[in-house]
Amino acid sequence: MSLLHDRSKDPLWKDEFSVFTSDERYVTRRQFAKFLTLASLGMFVGNLWIVLKSYLTKKLVYPPAEVATLGEIPVRGVKLFSYPLPQDNCIMVRTGEDEYVAYSQKCTHLSCAVYYSARDNRLECPCHQGFFSIKDGSVLQGPPPRPLPQIVLEREGGKLIATGVKVGGNG
Amino acid sequence: MHGYEFYVDPSRCIGCQSCVNACAECETHRGQSMINFDFIDRGSTTATAAYVCWHCDEPTCAMACPADAIKKGDDGIVQSSLKPRCIGCSNCVLACPFGIPKIFPELEQMMKCDMCYDRTSIGKRPMCATVCPSQALSYVHPEEIARRREKPTNVFYFGKQKITTLVHMMTPAETDAVSLDVLDYMWEGTYVAAARSE
Amino acid sequence: MANLEPTKQRRGLVAIDGAMALIVILLVLQIWLLSATLEAFLAGHSGPVVPAAIFSGLLFSASLTLNIFVNRIDQSSRQP
Repeated sequence: MSLLHDRSKDPLWKDEFSVFTSDERYVTRRQFAKFLTLASLGMFVGNLWIVLKSYLTKKLVYPPAEVATLGEIPVRGVKLFSYPLPQDNCIMVRTGEDEYVAYSQKCTHLSCAVYYSARDNRLECPCHQGFFSIKDGSVLQGPPPRPLPQIVLEREGGKLIATGVKVGGNG
Repeated sequence: MHGYEFYVDPSRCIGCQSCVNACAECETHRGQSMINFDFIDRGSTTATAAYVCWHCDEPTCAMACPADAIKKGDDGIVQSSLKPRCIGCSNCVLACPFGIPKIFPELEQMMKCDMCYDRTSIGKRPMCATVCPSQALSYVHPEEIARRREKPTNVFYFGKQKITTLVHMMTPAETDAVSLDVLDYMWEGTYVAAARSE
Repeated sequence: MANLEPTKQRRGLVAIDGAMALIVILLVLQIWLLSATLEAFLAGHSGPVVPAAIFSGLLFSASLTLNIFVNRIDQSSRQP
């Protein structure tokens, strides 16, 4: 039947409003609702997959690494180190006579390196003026969405050992 | 469908109008008959002919419909116009070379024969073919028609336009296609014929 | 839908349209929920993961119920 006429010569409207039901791309309500429900199922499966991953991924155990010795840096001084991997840059600040804090240096906004501002006693990101609290790494101001991951420090003898990474706060 | 074909043989029509009345019984088209019943030349002959929709391969009515209301399915049946879409413009009435679609202005709807789709889709025969006593309208396997002297054809020429249809017309054995010069049936034809002869 | 009287037909259509709109809204909610959960999980918080999955499941069952509802109305509209 439709073998008779040459489709390629047809204008677009003839193809889109074809008189032959086999050429129609008419979607019924039932088909559309079914498609939406399947998409919904897909989303649910995605969530289940995340649950699965959260149970399967083991908690990463970082090997402890020596960072510095006590008294190595002055008060309000800064030492840069890498923990747990060479590409994870971290910053340690001696905030008091006997107080040391360490954080990941990657700003949680767009991963610029943060620096310690002794004048304002906070960690600052030069890229978009994001400021982090020196006490717990929480965001004081600016675009960063999450607090800075904190490096857990332990004292052993006269040394400061980094033993873990604490990712804090809600996303 | 289901191996059956529809054959129309106007020479067998006895004018009983059983087809007209059988078709009119169906509630699908609100009691209106979809048979196109012709008194050929009532003044001089009792000859009649009953026609159903020819279900053309390239339905002119469907092509002419501005509301995309007439559809042809995979089984070859050209459906009557869709109720939500038909606007009653009668484009199809004017377009059809056979003059099949009927316009009902009070309903703003065109209705035409759909070969009793509710019956033929499940293997039953259309009402008209079931009741026709002379089998001028018949819905049978091609082997049964082969027993007749006449030959079925489904190619029509209207002037230069070639139309192939699902429904067959019974013609004398020598005829391959029914060829009509449309101008012969129009009043303008007399002027054109006169001009041609000059 | 030409088999029903006009009022029933109209009501059936309105019901279906409403149900479809609801399904779309629920789907958008689910898409957002999935992206938020993924972001939280990748940031290291595994807390919201299970409640999010449960809520996503609830949204999906709501979509499924509406889908069955649409089918039923669609079917009943074709019977006199």
